[in-house]
Amino acid sequence: MIDLRFLIFLPIAVGIFLYVLPESIKIVKGIIALLVSAISFFFAYKVFLLEPQIINIHCFLFEKIDKFFVFNVDNLSKVVTLFIGFFGFMFVLYSLSYITKKKKIISYYSYYLMTIGSSFGAVLTDNFITFIFFWGLLGLTLYKLIKGYDDESSSAAKKSLILIGASDSIIILGIALLWKIGGTYRMSGINTATTGALAIVAFISLVIGSLTKAGAFPVHSWIPDYVKKAPASSSAFLPASLDKLLGIYFLARICMNLFELTQWATMLLLIIGSITIIAAVMMALVQHNYKKLLGYHAVSQVGYMVIGVGLGTPLGIAGGLFHMINHALYKSGLFLTAGSVEKRTGEEDIENLGGLSKYMPLTFITALICALSISGIPPLNGFASKWMIYQGIIDFGNGSGLASRLWVVWLVLAVFGSALTLASFIKFISGIYLGRRKKEFEKVKEVSILMWLPQIIIAAVCVIFGVFAAKLIVPAFITPVSGAFKEIGMWDSQMVSFLILVSIIVGFIIYLIGNIKKLRTEDSFIGGEKIQEETNYSPLEFYKTVSKFPLLAFFYKKAEKKWFDLYDIFTKIILWFNNLFSKAHSGILSTYLIWVVAGLIILLIILI
Amino acid sequence: MNSLIPLFVIVPLGSAFLMAILGRFIKGFGKFLTSFGLLFLTGLSLYFIFNSQGTLVYKVGGFEASAGIPVAIYMVIDGLSKLLLLIIALIGFLSAFYSISYTKQYTAERKFYILFCLMIAGMNGIVISGDIFNMYVFLEIAAIASYALVAFGVEKEQLEASFKYQVLGGVASLLILMSIGFIYWQTGTLNIADISTQLPTSGAFIKFVSILFIVGFGLKAAIFPFHSWLPDAHSSAPSPISAMLSGVLIKAIGIYVIFRLFFNMFPISYEIAMTITILGTLSMLIGVLLAIGQWDVKRLLAYHSISQMGYVILGVGIGMVVLSKGGDKTIAAFSILGGLYHLINHSAFKALLFLNAGAVEYRTGTRNLKRLGGISQKMPVTSATSFGAAMAISGIPPFNGFFSKLIIIIAAVQAKFYLLAFFAVFVSIVTLASFLKVQKYTFSGKLKPAWEKIKEVPFSMAFSMIILAGLCLVLSLLVIPGIRDIVLKPAVDVLLNTIQYTTTVLGK
Repeated sequence: MIDLRFLIFLPIAVGIFLYVLPESIKIVKGIIALLVSAISFFFAYKVFLLEPQIINIHCFLFEKIDKFFVFNVDNLSKVVTLFIGFFGFMFVLYSLSYITKKKKIISYYSYYLMTIGSSFGAVLTDNFITFIFFWGLLGLTLYKLIKGYDDESSSAAKKSLILIGASDSIIILGIALLWKIGGTYRMSGINTATTGALAIVAFISLVIGSLTKAGAFPVHSWIPDYVKKAPASSSAFLPASLDKLLGIYFLARICMNLFELTQWATMLLLIIGSITIIAAVMMALVQHNYKKLLGYHAVSQVGYMVIGVGLGTPLGIAGGLFHMINHALYKSGLFLTAGSVEKRTGEEDIENLGGLSKYMPLTFITALICALSISGIPPLNGFASKWMIYQGIIDFGNGSGLASRLWVVWLVLAVFGSALTLASFIKFISGIYLGRRKKEFEKVKEVSILMWLPQIIIAAVCVIFGVFAAKLIVPAFITPVSGAFKEIGMWDSQMVSFLILVSIIVGFIIYLIGNIKKLRTEDSFIGGEKIQEETNYSPLEFYKTVSKFPLLAFFYKKAEKKWFDLYDIFTKIILWFNNLFSKAHSGILSTYLIWVVAGLIILLIILI
Repeated sequence: MNSLIPLFVIVPLGSAFLMAILGRFIKGFGKFLTSFGLLFLTGLSLYFIFNSQGTLVYKVGGFEASAGIPVAIYMVIDGLSKLLLLIIALIGFLSAFYSISYTKQYTAERKFYILFCLMIAGMNGIVISGDIFNMYVFLEIAAIASYALVAFGVEKEQLEASFKYQVLGGVASLLILMSIGFIYWQTGTLNIADISTQLPTSGAFIKFVSILFIVGFGLKAAIFPFHSWLPDAHSSAPSPISAMLSGVLIKAIGIYVIFRLFFNMFPISYEIAMTITILGTLSMLIGVLLAIGQWDVKRLLAYHSISQMGYVILGVGIGMVVLSKGGDKTIAAFSILGGLYHLINHSAFKALLFLNAGAVEYRTGTRNLKRLGGISQKMPVTSATSFGAAMAISGIPPFNGFFSKLIIIIAAVQAKFYLLAFFAVFVSIVTLASFLKVQKYTFSGKLKPAWEKIKEVPFSMAFSMIILAGLCLVLSLLVIPGIRDIVLKPAVDVLLNTIQYTTTVLGK
C-alpha cells in the first residue's frame, strides 16, 4: 500500500522542492532527480508484482477526500506503470550530460520529476477527477520541458499546450457525460454501450482526448513541431514514450472497460488508425529535418496501436499494447541518438550530415537497431508486434459487419505503411551515418557514457523484446491484459534469431579466413573525375521525386498550407469571429448606448 | 461580534478622510494607512469567516423593529457577504501594497489613495447593507471613485475611457434608482428582507422591475450586451486599479447584487433565471472571442473579465434554473458552488494578471504584445507568476481555475444543460489559446534588443504578485470537502435557501 503513495507523490514533492532550489546547482538537481527516478522505478517494479486489486489510500487530513485516492492496480495499469518507471530512469541518465547550460531550460529536472509522478497518478487512479487532474498536469510539464528562447520553439510550445489543453477540456466534458450516464466517477464502475446520443458524445470526447495525447490524425499536429525544437531528452520522454503509453493506455481503458464498442465505433477507430499510418508516413518521407522526420513517425506508428486496440479482439488488443511498448522503446532510442548527433555536430538537417558511423559507432548501432525495428524487420520487436496486429486484422475478417468485411483494406494499408516506414528510415540511416564522410565532422567524437549507455540499453531491450517475444515477453506483460488468444500465423522468433546469429558468425569467419589482405578501399568511381562536393550523392534527392507525383503533389501542397492541421483551421475560424465582433466595437459612445437600450427593449419584449 | 460589522465601512471611509487632512503634512501617510487598513480588514473578514455562523445583523442606531417594520438601517453579514468582504479586503490590500512602488510615477499620489479607500468603502458598504437604498448610495460612492481612478493618468485615452464609463455608469444608476423607486412605491419599504415579504409573487410588475435591475446591474457587472464600457475603462486605469476593477469591483457592485436580489429578494422565477443564464453564456462566448484577437495586453485581460464573469453567472444561473423548476437541490447547490468558487478564483488570478501587465508596463512602458518579447529572462518573478495566473484562468491543473471550471461543467451536464457545458468547454479552450499567446509574445521568444537593460520590478510589486500566485495555488484547496464546508458552503446555503435570509434578518 505504502508503495503507491511513494510512487506518485515522492517525485512530485521532490519536483516542487527542486523548483525552489537555485538554478546554479543543476548537477545536484540532476543527481537528486536520478535517485528519485531510480526509487520510482523500483516502486513501479514492486507495483508490477502486486496482484490486481483496488487500493485505498488514507493519507490526508480529511477523511472525505479518501474517495479521490482510490487506485486500481490491474493488469493493464501495472504494465504501463512499470514502463513509465523504466523510461523515467533511462532519460534522466541521458539528460545528466545532455541538458547543459546551453539548453537553458529552467527547472528541467523539477518538471521532469513532476511528469513521472503525474503519469503514475494518471495511470493508476480509479477516480475520474484525480485522473483528469494528473492528466492535465502532464500538459503543463510538456509545455515547460520545451519552452525555449526563440520564436519557433515558443510557437511549438504554445501549439502543443493548446492542443493538449483543448483535449483535456474535451475529456472533462466526456467525464461529465459519463458520470451522468453511469452515475459514478469510479472508472471501474462504468461499462456503457456506445448507443444513445450521450454515450456516443462521451465516447468521442474521451477518444479525442486519448488520441491527442498519443498523437493520431487529425489531432497529431503538435508532435512534429514539438520534437523539432524540443531538447531530445524531452522528445524522447514525452511525445515518444510517455504520451504514447498514456494515450494508448487510456484508449485501451475506453475500449476495454468504459465502453462496449459497437460496430461503428470499431470502424471509426480503424479508419483513424489507417489514415494516421499512411498520412504521417507520407509526410515523414519528405522531411529534411531528422527530428521532424522522427516526429512524423511517432504519429504514424500510433495508427498501428489504434488499429490494434480498435479491433477489440484479444489478439488485436495484445498487438496494439505490445506495439505501444515497442514503439516507446525504439522511438525513444531514435530520439536519443538524434540528440547525440545534434549535440556533437550541431546540425539538424539530414542533407548536411553524412558518414558519422565511424565517429559515433555506438550511436550508429543504436540508431540502426531502432530503425530496423520501427520498419518491422524480423526478429526485432517492431516486427513482433506488427505481426500480431496483422494477424489480428486477418482474424477480425472472420467476424460479421462492415468493418470486418473491409479487413483487406486495413491490412493492405498497414503493410504498405510499414514498407514506407522502411523507405524513409533508409534515408535517415544513410543520410546521417553512411555515405561520404564530411571534413567538418572529422573531430566529432562518440558521446559520453551517460548518453550512450541509455541508448545501448534501449537498443538491447528492443532486441530482447523481439527475439523472445512469443515465449517470454508477451505472456509476461500482454496476455494478462488482453486475455488468452491464439495466433494464426507461425513465427518462431527464437529459432529465426538463432539462424540469423549463426549466419552472421559464419559470415564473419569467412571474412576472417578469406583473402582479407587483398581488401582495398577506393573512392567512388565517377568516370575518372575527381569527386567534388556538389556531385556528392545525397539520399534526399531520391525522395524528392515522391513529392512530385501528380496526386501526391496536390496533397503535399495542401499539407504545406496546413489544410490538414486542425489547429490552424480552428485558429482561422476563431479569428474570423473575432474580426466580426471587433468591428462592432467601434468605440463610439452612442453605439454603445444604443446597445444598452436595445438590450433593455428586447428583454422587455421577450419577458413581458 | 455584531458591533464589529460597521468597521468594514468605517475603517476605509475614516482612512480616506484622515488621508485628506493629515496626508498633507505627513509624507507617505496614505500609502501605509491604506495598506494597514486593508490588512486589518482582511484579518477581520477572516475572523468572521472562521468564528461566526449564520447571519449577523447590526442595526445602525440600535432601533428595533416596531410593529414588525424594520426602521433602522440594517447591516447584514452572512456567508455570501463574508466571502465578498474577504475578497475585497485581500485583493485591495495586495493592490494597495503593489501601488506603493507603482504610484511613484504619478504626481498626485495622495489623491490616489483617498479614492482607493473610498472605492473600498463603497464596495464594503454594498456588500453589508441590508436595504436597497443604502446599497445604491454605496454603489455611487464606489462608482464615482472608480470613474476618477480610471481617469487618474489624465492622458487622452484615459479621459475618454472614463467619460464612456461615466455615461454608461450613469445610465445604470438611473435604471437602478428608477427600479428602487418602483419597489418603494409598490411595497413601502426599502429593507431587502422586508421587501421580499411584501412583493407579489408573480405578475408583470415583478418582471418589469427585475428587467430594470438586470440591465442596471448588468451594466455594472459588464454582462453582454451591456459590457461595452469595460474594455476601455479597465485597460486605461492604472494597473493596481485595473486589478481592483476587474478582480473585485464588477463582482461587488454587479454580480453580488444580482445574486442577492434575485435569490433573496425577488421570488425565483424560471424566466428570469433563464434570462440570467443565457446572458451569462453570451458574455462568456462573446467576451472570449473578442479577447483572443487583442494585441493590447490589458485590453485582452479586460475582455476576459467579461468572459469569466459569464462563467460565474452560468454556474449560479444554472443553479437558479434548477431551483426555479423545483429540481434536485444537490445539483443546484453544486452548480452555485461552482459559480461562487469561480468568482473567488477569478478575483485572484485576474488581479494577478493585471498586476503582471502593470509590472511589464512599469519596466518597458508598453502594453503592445507585438513590441514585447523574451523578457522572462529579465523579469523572472513577473514571468513565473504570470504563467501561474495564465494557467489558472485557462483551467490547467493544479491551479484553482481548473477546479471551478470542472465543477461548473459537471454541474451543467448534471442539470442537463449539455449545450451550455459544451460552450463552457469551448470557451475554456479559447481562453487557453489567448493566454498562451500572451505568454508567447510577452515572456518567451527572443529577447528584443530594446529590453536588454530592464530589471525585475521593486519589492512591493513583486511581493503582491508572489502572494497572489500563491493564492492561485492555495485556493485549489477549497475544493477539498472539509475546507469547502467552512468557506464556500455557507455562501451557497444563503443562495440555496432563498427565504431563510428574510426570516433570519427580520428575526421571525
